[in-house]
Amino acid sequence: MLKNQGKATETVKPMGYFVLFCVFCAIALAHSAAFALDVPPLKGRVNDYANMMSPGIRTQLETVLRDFEKSDSTQVVILTIDSLEGDTIDQFGIRVGEAWKIGQKGKDNGVIFLVAKNDRKTRIEVGRGLEGKLTDLTAGRIIQLVINPQFKKGDFDAGFSSGVKAIIDATRGEFKAEGRGRGAGSKVKGRGGIMTALPFLIIGIIVIIFIGRMSRYAGGAVGLAGFPLIGFFAGFSLLVIVIMGIIGAVLGLFIPLLFGRSSGGGTHSDGGWGPGGGFIGSSGGGDFGGGDDFGGGGGDFGGGGSSDDW
Amino acid sequence: MKRSLLYGMIAVMLMMLTGCGYNEIQKNEETVKAAWGDVEATYQRRMDLIPNLVETVKAYAKHESETLQAVTEARSKVGSVQVSKDMIGNPQAMAQFQQAQASMSGALSRLLLVAERYPDLKASQNFRDLQNQLEGTENRINVARTRYNKAVQVFNTSIRVFPNNLTNNFILKLQPKEAFKAEAGADKAPKVKF
Repeated sequence: MLKNQGKATETVKPMGYFVLFCVFCAIALAHSAAFALDVPPLKGRVNDYANMMSPGIRTQLETVLRDFEKSDSTQVVILTIDSLEGDTIDQFGIRVGEAWKIGQKGKDNGVIFLVAKNDRKTRIEVGRGLEGKLTDLTAGRIIQLVINPQFKKGDFDAGFSSGVKAIIDATRGEFKAEGRGRGAGSKVKGRGGIMTALPFLIIGIIVIIFIGRMSRYAGGAVGLAGFPLIGFFAGFSLLVIVIMGIIGAVLGLFIPLLFGRSSGGGTHSDGGWGPGGGFIGSSGGGDFGGGDDFGGGGGDFGGGGSSDDW
Repeated sequence: MKRSLLYGMIAVMLMMLTGCGYNEIQKNEETVKAAWGDVEATYQRRMDLIPNLVETVKAYAKHESETLQAVTEARSKVGSVQVSKDMIGNPQAMAQFQQAQASMSGALSRLLLVAERYPDLKASQNFRDLQNQLEGTENRINVARTRYNKAVQVFNTSIRVFPNNLTNNFILKLQPKEAFKAEAGADKAPKVKF
């Protein structure tokens, strides 16, 4: 056995060298790849790997940034890291942009607010689509005049929240969320909301017809509850939501009459609630509940933005 | 009968074209050209910033005419060395282009070094704004160059591997593209921090 093995290694020697060479190459390759600082995984809109923020401000910024994406489709993400480990923040920033692909595909409207804690460096990496609004100059001014003075004082929470506010102010209105009417200013918002909610309203009406055919009262109740819920998720005002509730209830009670075969009584009301729940679930989870499952939309970065020390 | 044979042959030829890397090479070449367009655009962006920068520095540092002159000269030289998309396979043209841009970078960093000596200039908002823009532009140049080099690598590989090399030798006859070479000091953006 042992003899045999010795013979084998002898004959396989050139092959062995080759394998050894391959292994060596692989190690060299792995080493060169590990030389550059790895981009950490994207956890959400606020990636506070260096623990610079208080939990309160973290959740607050998550909400602010989610709302901003909902209205403008522009994705803003915060990343804090402990150390750049010898890398420059510009080069690290573009790698984060390439890895996370923040921003919508085609619009390239992503912004990465990057802070290296121990290096005391801040960078705003701007996606190609936003370079017109959030120019290098604007980004530089935001860092030098808004963020870094707060960081210098050690007030990281204030630095992050005012920085995010400045970034949002600078980029607001450049893009609109999908399916929204084109136009300037926030006045379009209400009308745009209807456009967003319209598919859900149509689905809602279909569900109401479906339930109403089993029980008119259940249909009315689902309309009463489901329509305002759609309004709520679409971000309508309270008055509109109340009106939608009334419309929903009326539709639920009377639409089934148009389609006939309504049983009228409440005998099937138990069965009616099941699909009702499904209806509410589908409207809530369809588009707007995407907050937990956040990811980059495929945006492209070309090295725009600015960075500075603090 | 004859006609169906013809269609069959066309189909086989089309398949051969995809199989032999014809389409791949074409696509990669277009990628290289697009990446080169970005490189040119970012360098152009830097060139556009320079007159403004020179004016601003001049307002505070009149005595530095020599340095300012050098920047203006480097800029006009860069302007005369344009490499079009069809010339990126030409090593001489690329070398010239790189050299011109490198001397531009050198002149710029000397100018910024000079600016160091003028506190009023450094403090002026105008100069700080220009600095921000220049920094951003240098970073874009870096990104565009890196991406161009990557595209060139992909293209050059795709015309050398089998069977694409046969396709290229007999049909396309494309030359390998020139990548940016790292020069001494050119891999670093001129330091514009104060």
